[in-house]
Amino acid sequence: MRQKLLLSITLMCFCFLQSFAQQRTITGSVLTKEGTPLSDASVTVVGDKTGVRTGSDGTFSINVPATAKQLQISYVGSESQKVTIISINKVTVVMETAAQALENVVVIGYGSVRKKDLTGAVASVQAKDFNKGTYTAPDQLIQGKAAGVLVINNTGQPGGATTVRIRGTSSIRSGNQPLFVVDDVPLSGGSARPGGNGDNGGNPLTFMNPNDIAGIEILKDASATAIYGSRGANGVVLITTKRGKTGVPVVDVSGSVGISNVLKKLEVLSANEYRKTLADYNVGTDSTTGRLKGDFGNSVDAFDAITRTALTQSYNAAVGGGTENGRYRISAGYLDQQGIIENSGLKKVTANLTSNFKFLESKKLSLNFNVLVTQTNEEIVFGTAGVGFTGNLIAQALQWNPTHLLKKPGTDSAWIDPAVGSTTVNPLAELNYFNDRATVNTVIASVSPAYKITNDLEYKLVYSVNRQVGNRKIQTNRLLNDQGSLDRGFAAVRNEEQTNTQITNTLNFNKQITSDFNLNAVIGHEWLTYDKRGTFEGAQDFTNVGLNYYDYLQFSTQNSRGVGSFADPTTELQSFFGRAIINYKDKYLITGTIRADGSTRFGKNNKYGYFPSVGVAWNVTQEDFLVNNSLINNLKVRLSWGKTGNQEFPSGASLDRFGFGQQSISQSNYGNADLKWETSTTTNAGIDFSILNNRLSGAIDYFYKKTTDVLFEQNIVQPAPGGKIWINLPGNVVNKGVELMLTAGLIRKSDMNWNIGGNASFLQNSVNGLVGFYETGELRGQGFSDVRGQRVISGQPLNVWYLRRFEGLDKATGQSIYSDGGNTLYYSGSPNPKMLLGLSSDFSYKKFSAAVNMNGTFGHYVFNNTAASVLGIGNLGTRNIAKSILGGSVQEAISNAPAPSTRNLEKGNYIKMANASIGYRIGNLGKDIKNVYISVTGQNLFVITKYTGFDPEVNTDAGFGGIPSLGVEYVPYPSARTFQIGVNFSL
Amino acid sequence: MKHIKFWLILFLTVAFFSCTKLNERFRSELEQGNTSNITPAQLLISAYNSLNGPFQTGDLWHTQEQTSDETIAPTRGPDWDDNGQWRMLQTHTWNDNQSQIRGAFNGLLSAQFAASNVLQFSPSAQQAAEARFIRALTIYAVLDGYDQVPYREDLTNYKILPKTLKGLEASDFVVSELNAVMNDLPSTGAAYVANQNAAKVLLMKIYLNKGVYANRAAPVFDAADMNQVITLADQIIATNKYSLNSVFYDIFAPDNDVKSTENIFTLYNKAGDRGGNVQGCTFQVSHYNMNPAGWNGFATLSDFYDKFDAIDQRRGMYYNYPASLPNPGKRQNVGFLVGQQYNLTTDAALSDRKGNPLSFTRDVKIRETGSNLEVTGIRVLKYPYDYGHLNDQNDNDWVIFRYADVLLMKAEALLRTGDAAGALVIVNTLRVKRGVLPLASVDLNALLDERGREFYWEGWRRQDQIRFGKWLQAWQEKPASDASHLLFPIPSDQLAVNANLTQNPGY
Repeated sequence: MRQKLLLSITLMCFCFLQSFAQQRTITGSVLTKEGTPLSDASVTVVGDKTGVRTGSDGTFSINVPATAKQLQISYVGSESQKVTIISINKVTVVMETAAQALENVVVIGYGSVRKKDLTGAVASVQAKDFNKGTYTAPDQLIQGKAAGVLVINNTGQPGGATTVRIRGTSSIRSGNQPLFVVDDVPLSGGSARPGGNGDNGGNPLTFMNPNDIAGIEILKDASATAIYGSRGANGVVLITTKRGKTGVPVVDVSGSVGISNVLKKLEVLSANEYRKTLADYNVGTDSTTGRLKGDFGNSVDAFDAITRTALTQSYNAAVGGGTENGRYRISAGYLDQQGIIENSGLKKVTANLTSNFKFLESKKLSLNFNVLVTQTNEEIVFGTAGVGFTGNLIAQALQWNPTHLLKKPGTDSAWIDPAVGSTTVNPLAELNYFNDRATVNTVIASVSPAYKITNDLEYKLVYSVNRQVGNRKIQTNRLLNDQGSLDRGFAAVRNEEQTNTQITNTLNFNKQITSDFNLNAVIGHEWLTYDKRGTFEGAQDFTNVGLNYYDYLQFSTQNSRGVGSFADPTTELQSFFGRAIINYKDKYLITGTIRADGSTRFGKNNKYGYFPSVGVAWNVTQEDFLVNNSLINNLKVRLSWGKTGNQEFPSGASLDRFGFGQQSISQSNYGNADLKWETSTTTNAGIDFSILNNRLSGAIDYFYKKTTDVLFEQNIVQPAPGGKIWINLPGNVVNKGVELMLTAGLIRKSDMNWNIGGNASFLQNSVNGLVGFYETGELRGQGFSDVRGQRVISGQPLNVWYLRRFEGLDKATGQSIYSDGGNTLYYSGSPNPKMLLGLSSDFSYKKFSAAVNMNGTFGHYVFNNTAASVLGIGNLGTRNIAKSILGGSVQEAISNAPAPSTRNLEKGNYIKMANASIGYRIGNLGKDIKNVYISVTGQNLFVITKYTGFDPEVNTDAGFGGIPSLGVEYVPYPSARTFQIGVNFSL
Repeated sequence: MKHIKFWLILFLTVAFFSCTKLNERFRSELEQGNTSNITPAQLLISAYNSLNGPFQTGDLWHTQEQTSDETIAPTRGPDWDDNGQWRMLQTHTWNDNQSQIRGAFNGLLSAQFAASNVLQFSPSAQQAAEARFIRALTIYAVLDGYDQVPYREDLTNYKILPKTLKGLEASDFVVSELNAVMNDLPSTGAAYVANQNAAKVLLMKIYLNKGVYANRAAPVFDAADMNQVITLADQIIATNKYSLNSVFYDIFAPDNDVKSTENIFTLYNKAGDRGGNVQGCTFQVSHYNMNPAGWNGFATLSDFYDKFDAIDQRRGMYYNYPASLPNPGKRQNVGFLVGQQYNLTTDAALSDRKGNPLSFTRDVKIRETGSNLEVTGIRVLKYPYDYGHLNDQNDNDWVIFRYADVLLMKAEALLRTGDAAGALVIVNTLRVKRGVLPLASVDLNALLDERGREFYWEGWRRQDQIRFGKWLQAWQEKPASDASHLLFPIPSDQLAVNANLTQNPGY
């Protein structure tokens, strides 16, 4: 890797040397009327093919032939301009209509609208505003960037799963992730990445290269999402990829190299502290060694031994260009992200082609053709939360007796020494003897011809195929002293594949019917199919011959083998939809949408669901009484109402089914012929404003979202097959809240700009009408078998904590005291954040630029399961304990049983410096290398919190019985702090 | 405008013809209406399998044993707190959301469904009889624990609430079912296939406990019921199919399907084929440093242990069996493990995780707080571990009904009808076979003790203690409990959805 880096530097130096006397350099900046820098404007020499684009600070630098007289500046949605450059070397260009252009087009699904025509709550985050740094999936780019959008990196695992909640959690049981749509292609939310015992799942969006993304729109209210019908209730995230721009081919290259370290180490005892504590507890002396019992006489830090300073490299190259009649962009990306735990990491190779063509003399026929190809390779360590009392790798490292060597003296191999306890697993052994790899190949191809039947009417077809193939190989070496694997070994191979197809027909009608009256309408038909299947083989009893067990499974013993396969029922979704946006005098806007969704999943009595919405908006600033005012640039009032659905329940739930066991068949469920989508009815009221020459702009939204017909897998009346039945609950879940967004341009000068922005959301959530209660939030670890800490019950927030109440330690016995002797459990707070906060700021001065992004969540409780069951006092003498246990006024008894109680329930409030970046625009290097920009970026720089675990941004999967959990930390893959340097340039 | 209409019509036509009917196509399962290829034999295997969960050291077992005077699940410092669920069972402080009480109820009813479902698929007369036997067994077990038994007659419409069979209504139903299928059940064959003698033992259980089902707090045992028990026992004895094993642990050995001459109804366990978690018996008691390494959990109470004579085979012995470890020191490997434990391959003395001798103590408390909390309590191993399938499915068939129970139930019926002499003969026959001296006399207390010594950890103790009127009394580590604890509560999750259930008094 060093060689690659060296090569890039050499290349850069070489380019420095290139200069051509017959050329001269013109620098300049492109601004909007308001003085905002305009990035990505095209700057070309009239009469020549030379061209560059402006950077994010709006500046450009172009080498022009000595003879050049004029530059042409063009920008999407603006009239292009020509400026004379005879005898001047510096120009400032103001694009007349640029302000409109900037806010002009917002993608809203099956079309786009001018932003001022929006009636719904839509947050738009463009590439320049994305979080800075290296990310593996697009959802991380918008963390903290939009009001009402919660993004949690569940763990620090590279490529690990995230939790995305738009406007709270509205579904008790079914999926709460929003619908992601990439360039008109809706994703299934699933992945062909097979499950395994190393982790708790990956992010299904990892296949995307964040560098290919131009912008992300988040549709929040029903006016915006109802066009997605039965999949719109959790919000919709529209991802738009970058397109080639008209002009000479431009090559954009970027590269970054970064190093990562553990964000926070948990404080456990050092060897000396451990010895002192053993003495304090009078554990007694071992007669053979003469040392205290449990003291092995050495000093090691096991957590350091499994973690490392990890290197992350990312390289991207893209070629874009074309003519009016055909544009293209081809990109390739390579990411090699080492995990901060040894032997873990993610490698990703992506290739992406987007192209747009226009045909016929009339140019009425056009074609978009996109192909995305990705391979991800993950190396996974034993970091799952679903482990027994011997813990996962992280637990084992935290617990390791700090006085005992990890490596056998005189060897380089992990020391499996029964003296430290037969159930104590050496983390180094776990690291070396457990092996888990996942590979996923993704191809998404879409072809989309469109024909303009008249100037106002266009027919468009989108056909796409999304195919993923995943493979996972897992093994545990027979040397590992893990119950079940010792002296036997274990290996498994899993394969999954999924194929999703889409056919969408739309007719778009957009006409200025009278001078005051504009109609923008779309009707469409969509047919989606989903197909998923998989196989697995697992076996035991291998010998060590230097090969991977999973490559010679036939060696295993017959009795230890397990095989299986599945093919999900084919799922189809057929929909009809329409939307009309009526604009009267730019003052009054009405959007009406309706979608009818039919799904194979729905019961036969409810095959089609209908999802209407209506939104109105009033552009107050267009009224006569405000037209000439100089204070208010924009004031819009929005109001919307609509219904959206959620259909994330498993296929087949509406029918009685019979499943297969070994040589046996049994009925696996009762089908519910009435089963249907759940419906969220959302009312949204919002105000968009912009004042003081657009220096200060923002939006305030209030929403009330009531989810009815809540999909739930209810306990079935026994006797019955299975334990549960999918029903639509008579109750409801209510999420309501207020969202604020504010952006201020503090300084807007031609060479200096400073913007700050922030968003805050206040959320409230409650469940009503549930019959009985349901448990989730599976708390785990030693002494925590069959324990759930959360309930779903009427009148309480979703996933409310239900725990013993800890009242301190008994002075006499050192045992925990609980209210009512521990026999009563209490509702103890909500894991749902009451407030989300995002703050960002960017600053530029001449060629310098800087950006910071912060985010935080407040008002919720996190259960520190790591502290509760991994580092408790009971470990003393065999394993390590948390430092925080000691030093209190009462000495806790070694025999004090750890129990799920409020003792380990902590406030989860935090604010995090998510990323910060400073950059310098070098400009052009010689004739060929342009727009050179270098930057230094830090990610996860610090967290302000009172939470004592690794990272309050955590969501260990502790779901039970299919009901998701929230707010559990259990020995997660630790979060990393990353510093990186990056270079971008164009050719 | 004309051509717009044309395009619009074309568009709608395209949309119309691409319409689908949205029918689900199943590929890994069979859906309703497509089940004609299902054979009743495949469903019958599932019905037998459905008993594994509750019975084989499962939730039913826990509700019968952890609540009794022969089992304890101590909280061992950082281990086995498990949110207090075990202490709830031991101290009779359970509620309607107690994990095992809920699990047993749901598991047994789910098994009832699996059994009933066989009858929907045109079974042969014997298959139908086997399924109805399995169903009767689950109904009896729910009756015994909860008094109310939801019984689903119409399997096709889940919206029709199952009717509730209460108390004697349920026991009468079980009796009529068993009598109805008796002639269709096989009279010979393997114990893991429902058979006539198994049905008769179940009838005996019903008749013996009928007085309890009529009035749990103050049962009256009707002579007619006792005579039924005696008659049924005599019928089983007269088959000459069964005899008491000379070596007690042959009944539970990995090859007990061959070796045991006592087993009347068992659950089939066979590595690579099918079965339940019989090795859980070992794991739940075995210390981490023993082989197999277990979870170091349950123990027995010293008061119970003291009921045994030292020479009693049933208290423990060195048992030499084909699937055992070499055991060069001929150490005790079955029964009640107390004192120093050894490596059964090398005969080295074992240590616990802190390096202290692995020596199980007699004394045990519900909450262990001492420095030796890892090794407290006498461990109980009734099923000899199948080392031929270490950590895999073990081959020991799970024993539900066996001949010794037939004999002791007959003895009890004789005793309850005034024939103490007849009872003594039976009890002493058994005792001699188990290597202990005969008793001079037998009364109900002695008989309960004998049942304890014979059937410890087989899942009968709760029922026996209730029938003998000892259940509510205090014993070691358990305070006296009130009469509501004669029944388990109806689990809250079922009470919430089934309007035909009412909560048992006191919960």
